[in-house]
Amino acid sequence: MKGDFKTRISFLIMGFGQIMRGQWVKGVAYLATQILFILYMVRFGGSYLSKITTLGTVETHKEGRKTVYGDNSFLILLFGILTLIVIAVFIFLWYMNIKDNLKDEALLREGKVLPSNRKVLGSLLDGHFDKTLLALPVSGVFLFTVVPIIFMICIAFTNYDDKHQAPTNLFTWVGLDNFKNLLSFGSSGMGSTFFKVLAWTLVWAFFATFIDYFLGLAVAMLINKKEIKFKKLWRTLLVLTIAVPQFVSLLYVMKLFANDGLINGYLLKLGLINAPIQFWVDPMLARITILVVNIWIGIPYLMLIATGLLMNIPAELYESAKVDGATGWQMFRSITLPYMLFVTGPFLLTQFTNNLNNFNVIYLLTQGKPQSMKLANKAGSTDLLVTWLYKMTVNDTNYKMAAVLGIMVFIVTAVITMVVYNRLPSVRDEEGFQ
Amino acid sequence: MKKKILSLILASAVAGAALSGCGAAAPAPAEPAAEEKTEEAEAAPAEAEEEKPSASVGDGSQGEIKVWVADAVVDFTAKQVEKFMADNPDYAGFKVSVEAVGEGDAAGNMITDVEAGADIYAFAQDQIARLVAAGALETVNPDVIDAVKSENDDGSIKAATVGSELYAYPLTSDNGYFLYYDKSVVKDPSTLEGIIADCEAAGKNFYMEINSGWYQTAFFFGAGCDLSYETDDNGNFTKANVTYASPEGLAALKAIIKLCESKAFQNGSAIGEATNVGAIVDGTWDSSAAQEVFGDNFACAKLPTFTDGDGKEHQMSGFGGFKLLGVKPQTDEAKLAACDALAYYLAGEEVQLARYKEVGWGPSNIKAQSSDDVKSDVALSALAEQLKNSIPQGQYPGDYWSLSTSLGDSIRNGELSSGSSDDDLMAALQKFQDTCISYAQ
Amino acid sequence: MSKNTNTNSMKRKKAVGTFWAYVLLIVISIIWLFPFAGLLLQSFRSYDPAVEYGGMVDYLIPKHFSLDNYRFLFSGQTNFVRWYGNTLVIAIFVAIFQTVIILCVSYALSRMRFAGRELLMRFWLILGMFPGFLTMICLYFLLKQFGLTQAGAVPGLILVSVASSGMGYYVCKGYFDTIPRALDDAARIDGASRARVFFTMIIPMSKPIIIYTALVAFMAPWCDYIFASYVAFGHDESYNVAVAMTRWVWTNDYQGYFTRFCAGGIMVAVPVTLLFMALQNYYVEGVTGGAVKG
Repeated sequence: MKGDFKTRISFLIMGFGQIMRGQWVKGVAYLATQILFILYMVRFGGSYLSKITTLGTVETHKEGRKTVYGDNSFLILLFGILTLIVIAVFIFLWYMNIKDNLKDEALLREGKVLPSNRKVLGSLLDGHFDKTLLALPVSGVFLFTVVPIIFMICIAFTNYDDKHQAPTNLFTWVGLDNFKNLLSFGSSGMGSTFFKVLAWTLVWAFFATFIDYFLGLAVAMLINKKEIKFKKLWRTLLVLTIAVPQFVSLLYVMKLFANDGLINGYLLKLGLINAPIQFWVDPMLARITILVVNIWIGIPYLMLIATGLLMNIPAELYESAKVDGATGWQMFRSITLPYMLFVTGPFLLTQFTNNLNNFNVIYLLTQGKPQSMKLANKAGSTDLLVTWLYKMTVNDTNYKMAAVLGIMVFIVTAVITMVVYNRLPSVRDEEGFQ
Repeated sequence: MKKKILSLILASAVAGAALSGCGAAAPAPAEPAAEEKTEEAEAAPAEAEEEKPSASVGDGSQGEIKVWVADAVVDFTAKQVEKFMADNPDYAGFKVSVEAVGEGDAAGNMITDVEAGADIYAFAQDQIARLVAAGALETVNPDVIDAVKSENDDGSIKAATVGSELYAYPLTSDNGYFLYYDKSVVKDPSTLEGIIADCEAAGKNFYMEINSGWYQTAFFFGAGCDLSYETDDNGNFTKANVTYASPEGLAALKAIIKLCESKAFQNGSAIGEATNVGAIVDGTWDSSAAQEVFGDNFACAKLPTFTDGDGKEHQMSGFGGFKLLGVKPQTDEAKLAACDALAYYLAGEEVQLARYKEVGWGPSNIKAQSSDDVKSDVALSALAEQLKNSIPQGQYPGDYWSLSTSLGDSIRNGELSSGSSDDDLMAALQKFQDTCISYAQ
Repeated sequence: MSKNTNTNSMKRKKAVGTFWAYVLLIVISIIWLFPFAGLLLQSFRSYDPAVEYGGMVDYLIPKHFSLDNYRFLFSGQTNFVRWYGNTLVIAIFVAIFQTVIILCVSYALSRMRFAGRELLMRFWLILGMFPGFLTMICLYFLLKQFGLTQAGAVPGLILVSVASSGMGYYVCKGYFDTIPRALDDAARIDGASRARVFFTMIIPMSKPIIIYTALVAFMAPWCDYIFASYVAFGHDESYNVAVAMTRWVWTNDYQGYFTRFCAGGIMVAVPVTLLFMALQNYYVEGVTGGAVKG
């Protein structure tokens, strides 16, 4: 063991050395952490942590007509994970505490003066301003994003479903069973359904991204034409779809296209058709209708972006192309398009991954329907992986399979992002994060 | 050098947050019930207790009882609760709040979090096995089991029973469906073919929610198929009796396909969402909406007959269903006693009859059923006619309903059509049957 | 190049092109506006059976023009005003806190170089690839531990939206990156602390991005149906408009509520739209910047 007695006692009592050396701001903070940690473990974390290997053994039972709840597997897992993380953070801080002690000790030995408490605090607004700024956001993300994600990853390895629902029933670890179920092609397996849904998810994301992109660009160029007046008016009209909340507009559009909705109603009245067009019933037609409605939502957004970017293209490029006798189409192909694709590469990728998870459009329009005898577990022909996952969570409380699906969504998104991202021409070191 | 300090503060923020969480978590339910205002029926607490100090069960027991019912009966239920509290000062320590949570949502919410769910809630019977399996239903108080069983009709008791245990109090006996139609469009409501022909001729729609496992059975049971499940006391399905893959099943399936291919056919069962309606297969809960839609031409009847490929006529059958009132398992005996008493009261003869008068829900209570008011109700009479041909709905696994939606959608989107060969149709039925059986293992 | 001979035909060609461009634009505008016009028209159809009918019908223009649906919303028969208030409260608080947090994160990531910076950005990038719904049940029980579900759902929803908002720093950081660092350095040489630079220099220069961030944050809660219904269930007073009103179209308990849904939808859409229109330029600047920065 290195260090003087102040440092050594700090191995047991955090912050002791700092306080003894007059660094009470740091010392008290370390000490408080330790006290909080011990309190946390004794009063809360310890009991959950001890059960995390089994997720609880005490069954719920009856005493007379009264119900006595046993272990709650859900809370054991949740707070077990939280406790593990708290312990890891604590160990890190403990290590920092020792390191800090040794550093102070060395400074004193060299005859230097330790920074004053005021200076320590002041650095939080200057040299260490980043810590001040990031403290709250990072801990927020930690508690409300990281912990839940770790929790759900763990759920994929348990049998938590409608038959094993806390607090009445226990659930427990089952290894890779759920993954086997998802990828098995037997009669009860979900394999074929999973790959069908995955395929449609990818097809959807591809078309939704590129159709919207090109049509948005086209509309932007149309409005940008020199001859067109009232540019602002046209843009404003289109942009309404961004401003009106989707749960209002999409629910209305859904009713509009229903078999007995307005569109079919008017077409029938006018005698243009003699049976309703099965917009949401026929699997293929439902998919196409969704893509069309998505154009309605997507174009304004892309039009705005394209409008801004088109102005950045140096006018001389077009001038010289004109001198060379290029047609409009040629100019588009050799100037506008390459420029746009180059500049918006990362954005397109983001759009693609967003569309992979585009819940609102699908769910508000079809809830994934129509279902089919060919698809298992309530999946429908327009279901994306996320909407399928959502239905499993909310309608079936089949959390274990939802968790497995969630991991699959993550893998698909991550793989696509990585493969495409590094090939984008416009990727440069600092611009990369999206 | 001092950069740890903030990481430190950061960590204590997380730890602190977690700690404050533990503070709230330690005593189990810790309801944040501070400001429950909706329709509170506080039954004059202090004075009542002083006047009756000998209150046996209620001495000092306090708490809050949450009741969930459909929006239409929130005010009604709140009034009844008030009456109950006035008549039963024993339970004066309990504060009862009534919330609008539809019978469909109630079960899902109860299962998501039993603790935060209602203490007493109404639900449609198809949810009962799921609720029992998730531990969201307490058995009916043994003291009143015999009374409940004798006061309500057999079908409703069967619906409220899982395995051999009675888990809920029957509330209504009107969750069945029949035909509402427009007199000026449909001349003779006795055959499906006639109704369709009339609707087609008038350019009106015929609605039936054919992609629902609930309505589909009208054809399958009508043709003579069987589909039922047996359960144990914990809500697990142990055995399935299915005969869909049979000549009868094939006849029913073909009749459904024929119906779907009519241009008058629309899929749906909510008259509020239907347009240009000539006739609709719907239930008593939509009776006032149907009167609004049809106006003077409003009429209702039992379901029609349908003719199969061999020219044989079958009376359409289907489910007769029930709404139930459940009590959730309690950790406090005094509260359980209060919930039991309140639930029994809310599902009793008097309240069922009053509820019928208020919102038109058909009672499951035998005495209430035989009252003159109920007997003279047109919608309920049509339902009663239909119920003679229907099968009281027993317990079905949740997967059955989504499986039948898949079957219905497969028909609607033409995967199974009049062009399909008998073998294809039979294969689909066989798959349906096998999947149904696989749920009971 | 024989310009003179071509001018006439070119002009005519151009005029024809412009004509068709206008036609196209008008058609597009009609398609885009149709659903909103429909929504508006339906909201004026009475649900009173004595006048007209509140469910679905197969015609667009109401036979009688009526304000019944709007009267219904404010009559106290439902908690509509309360739901609206909840949503407004959530939207305002989320807009304020989310903007503050995003500004903080963006400044730290744009201006300061500290150990773990790259790691943090990468880590957050990866986190973003997990589908959000997955964690709903877990978030629900976390919030429940703090008493922030059902009766406490409004603060709970604010907390969840704000807590994870740090991850949405891209656009704002991109904007900060375009402010020359030389400005910072000059101020720092004069003895200003980082905090001073941030508050007195960067923030005043960032009005467009602040407005953009707040606008986006303000608009999101109006659409939050999924998580809000999960957190508030069984407690009517904590619902937001989206949760409460989707019941009117999705569940059978509410027959003939369709026109009332339309009216409620208009009540939600109008203020949000007006705000959006007023701040549209900032929005455009934000999305364009975000798209290019990537």
